[in-house]
Amino acid sequence: MPLNLEALSKGHEFPSVAFHLSSQWVREYAEAVEDGAIAGLGRDMVPPMAVAALSIRALLDSARLPTGAIHLGQEVAFFRPVGMGERLSAAGRIASRGERQGWVIMRIDLKVEDEALALVMTGRTTVTMPLDQGQESRT
Amino acid sequence: MTEQFDREAGPKVGGELSSVAKVLTQEKIDRYARAGGDGNPLHTDPEFAAQSQFGGTIAHGMLVLAYLSEMMTAAFGSRWLSSSRIKARFRTAARPGDTVTASGRVERTENGRTFCTVECRNQHGEVLLSAKAEVVA
Repeated sequence: MPLNLEALSKGHEFPSVAFHLSSQWVREYAEAVEDGAIAGLGRDMVPPMAVAALSIRALLDSARLPTGAIHLGQEVAFFRPVGMGERLSAAGRIASRGERQGWVIMRIDLKVEDEALALVMTGRTTVTMPLDQGQESRT
Repeated sequence: MTEQFDREAGPKVGGELSSVAKVLTQEKIDRYARAGGDGNPLHTDPEFAAQSQFGGTIAHGMLVLAYLSEMMTAAFGSRWLSSSRIKARFRTAARPGDTVTASGRVERTENGRTFCTVECRNQHGEVLLSAKAEVVA
């Protein structure tokens, strides 16, 4: 049973999660975002935001994102191109957590590595979500 | 749209990046939700979203950011994929029916990096997303 994201404390570490950028998923993603530029770099290239989106999704599989959560900001750094079929792993940590007027504001740092443990991407996600009324403060 | 693009050197300092425009629909948001695995009902459930502070469904921030990333890929090619950074803030929600236009400008080149100011606006001129981006020069 995944933990509620808003209940997690600063410093919480998300376990490393492996994920696969299958060609089928990458094509579905590129179609969904209508990326007309990535194909010009070679047909096996993965749009960089696909790596960010899939790593965030992989991390949040271990924590339930409350309904009503809102994405406030996103920082991403890319260190090398990623190709279709690659297997990557994402790890994350809650860098900060605050509460204000019934809402939690959380910053989550993430790191994505390839199978050789070389850094592929880092990021920081800022998200706000309603505070569960029955929950004590963990700021 | 102003284009000052050299395929080898990329856009010049002071130059505008070639803009990218997309028309958002609920179907596109639903498709992104399926691909991105984000089933937050704020994006996909009109009844739920109608009761929220937004009064209706909104697009995923990462979908709007993907439009901006497409613009950067078109402007900087493989450099955007291999050594780049972006810091984005989502300012206003993008909604079905919106025309989202990504645009940007090269601000400076310093220490081997090119720095850009980039943003996405809707058809009313409201800023949906603003960001600072950099890429290896």
